Amino acid sequence: MNREIIKSRVGDECIHVKHTSGLEIFISEKPGFSTSFAVIGTKYGSVHTDFRIKGEEEFTAVPEGIAHFLEHKLFENEDSKVFELYAKTGASGNAYTTFDRTCYYFSSTSNYEEPLRILLDFVQKPYFTQETVDKEQGIISQEIKMTNDNPDWRVFSNLLKNMYHSHPVRTDIAGTCESIAKIDAPLLYRCYDAFYDLHNMVLSVAGNVKADRVLEICDELLRISPDRKAEVRFPDEPETVVRPQIREKMPVGMPIVQIGYKCRPADRSGKLKKHLTAAMACSLLTDECSELYDRLLDEGVISSPPGGSVFAGEGYFSVIFSAVTDYPERVAEAIEQERERFVRDGIPENVFKRIKRCGYRDILRDTDDVESTAFLMLDACMEGSRPYEHIDIYAELTAGEVRKFMEEELVISNRVLSVIEKEVEDQ
Amino acid sequence: MKYIRKEIDGGIGITFVMDEKFKTGCLTVRFITKLGDDAAQNALGISVLNVTNSKCRSLTEFNEKLGMLFGASAGTFVRKRGDVQILGLSASWVSSRYALEGVDTDQQMIEIVRDCIFSPDAENGAFSDKPFRITKKDLLDHIGTEIDNKRNYALMKAAETAFCGEPAGSACYGTKEAAEKITASSAFEAYRKILETARVEIFFSLPCDRPDAIQPVIDGFKQMSRRPQDIDFRKISPAKETLSEVREDMEMQQSKMVMVFKSGLEDVFAMKMMSIILGESPVSRLFVNVREKMGLCYYCVSRFVSSKNTLMVDCGVSEKDTEKAKEAIAAQIEDICSGNISDEDIERAIALLETSVESLGDSQSSYSGWYFESFCDGYSPEPEEYLANFRSVTKERIAAAARSLVPDTVYILCGREGGK
Repeated sequence: MNREIIKSRVGDECIHVKHTSGLEIFISEKPGFSTSFAVIGTKYGSVHTDFRIKGEEEFTAVPEGIAHFLEHKLFENEDSKVFELYAKTGASGNAYTTFDRTCYYFSSTSNYEEPLRILLDFVQKPYFTQETVDKEQGIISQEIKMTNDNPDWRVFSNLLKNMYHSHPVRTDIAGTCESIAKIDAPLLYRCYDAFYDLHNMVLSVAGNVKADRVLEICDELLRISPDRKAEVRFPDEPETVVRPQIREKMPVGMPIVQIGYKCRPADRSGKLKKHLTAAMACSLLTDECSELYDRLLDEGVISSPPGGSVFAGEGYFSVIFSAVTDYPERVAEAIEQERERFVRDGIPENVFKRIKRCGYRDILRDTDDVESTAFLMLDACMEGSRPYEHIDIYAELTAGEVRKFMEEELVISNRVLSVIEKEVEDQ
Repeated sequence: MKYIRKEIDGGIGITFVMDEKFKTGCLTVRFITKLGDDAAQNALGISVLNVTNSKCRSLTEFNEKLGMLFGASAGTFVRKRGDVQILGLSASWVSSRYALEGVDTDQQMIEIVRDCIFSPDAENGAFSDKPFRITKKDLLDHIGTEIDNKRNYALMKAAETAFCGEPAGSACYGTKEAAEKITASSAFEAYRKILETARVEIFFSLPCDRPDAIQPVIDGFKQMSRRPQDIDFRKISPAKETLSEVREDMEMQQSKMVMVFKSGLEDVFAMKMMSIILGESPVSRLFVNVREKMGLCYYCVSRFVSSKNTLMVDCGVSEKDTEKAKEAIAAQIEDICSGNISDEDIERAIALLETSVESLGDSQSSYSGWYFESFCDGYSPEPEEYLANFRSVTKERIAAAARSLVPDTVYILCGREGGK
């Protein structure tokens, strides 16, 4: 196995190894830090609901929410529970599922070798029975209900449902109480076998660790397995949105709005650059120094700056702005006016420079933190780029490219407004 | 790592941490005052500092200045700790060593913070109109949207009932009614009072050895005539004679239940150990039994509030299962009361504490939190001394801590089964 050393322009470095098991491994030794953090992720999330593996002709459609369900169940071994094993070492572990990945991680001080063994062991050792699956349905139903009561999630979920016609990103990560009721042990094994294949996974370790020891433990525990080459099928997704506006009433103190621009999905080679360009466009359109922001504050339309974020994955890409406001349309209109102004007049050099400097701070902050460093390496690999490559692309990004993105991708006809309105008036 | 702690006249404590592994600087100034009827005034008074100061009188100008300092950030915060209100101003920036073009960001940011604190945008005894209006709206919006996060809302309402008649029963941002009455001059007056009477704790961290860089802020305080108030960080809350049960209906799918238990036992280390074993980790009694075995909840956790010697248990549960959950939680407490505590329970609790203490130097914010909490609790900030307090806790003391719990309040935010 070749060890490749990857260096960043801000002085950090990491080691990359393509393990013989197929697993991509990244390690960043961080002297001076006490914490060790490791995360192993598989490129398997809630959108991967229709798939086949090498040698199969037919695709299999599985219930919504099964990736998240599988994440819960993997924490139970045949003879013990993973949390108990971690607790004996002083490590704390957890996991999460997103639209396009599932990740398991732990954080530890003083002893990282034993928790790393636990992590590598349990993700390779599934154990599902109908009894434990049935029990988990109650817990996950409660999680789904809790999420449904969260207005910040609801506004986002409604936005996606009205932005995407058929792409599975329009379905909630945890599925529904009805969809998870269809999950059984054989289905979980089927999904596990397809996606928890080390060729489809990434391990990222950072902090108070020694690369040599990490690799020795990997050699000891990783099992050589065939590359199953899971192939996922996505339905055709039109460029248009489903409908431009969706409103729902909930018990909230003030209306919450999300304004989403549906963009064209990024191709694999240009993914990172498109993501960074879109992020820069977000920062410019929600710039706290802009006259627009000052005016909205002065008029009482908002009391804190709107947030902007890029939401992208396999077959979907969008830019989403969020605000808490009594005037959702006014916020949407103001962002659109600002976008038009940048497209028409260009982005002033001093403004672009200032926004870029803010990005520089975020980059330095990420490398100042063990956990962020581990996720930086994992994210890069999962997104098909190299750790720290974003720093170079970010440094090269021009105002012209961002302006072009705003003009070509942030198209008002592909905009959706999602609003959570107050259910009852103040009494 | 280098740690310097000093206290100067006027009730001001200064903590400096030099740690070369960071690339950023960090400064937090905390004002500690009694929580009371002026909570909203205080919250607004501190929050205006985040918008402008007398040298940058527009928000645009203020934000531009921070932006050019490589995206430095400055923000205010308000929180409650028992009967005490903590108001703060915090700043973070790329430290001079890592700033491009030789900019001395450390010095410039400290001066900005100094200007915000000692030279706010005010004239004739009142905050300027625009920053005041913006901040007042923000405060009212904040109070209005406390209902959005149902779990936090339930905890807030439970505290309101449990600590009724005590300062801790008040909301840390005050009430909507109080916030509506605030004027630019009353907020400024409240801020002046904070400056003069609050206990002050300054935390400052850099990757280089420049402890004196904080001097402009210290000089600002030295020029004032301060009368710092005495702060009681810990006051045991008496248990009610009869259990208070409160139910509130809301259109939502999952109910939230908070159970509050009071204790008169003066053994905070045993109380904390008991809470860890009961419900502060994924191997705790509540997680293993109420969540994993019974499948009643997605979360069911406990928290020991040392400032009030109170234990709070909260969970998200179906409305039909609230009684079952209540009984299951009580049964787990009863089990600890009976002394059913294993060596493994204790080892795991200690391991959890050790991990949290050992990792405190891995971020500037955890350093800041650690030294501040040590100050409030009156403990040594030396990790080993702190941990020794827990290592000496016996099973008997943990069982006694559980037996000392008196049910005080049950608050249920009641959702409708099978809602939307």
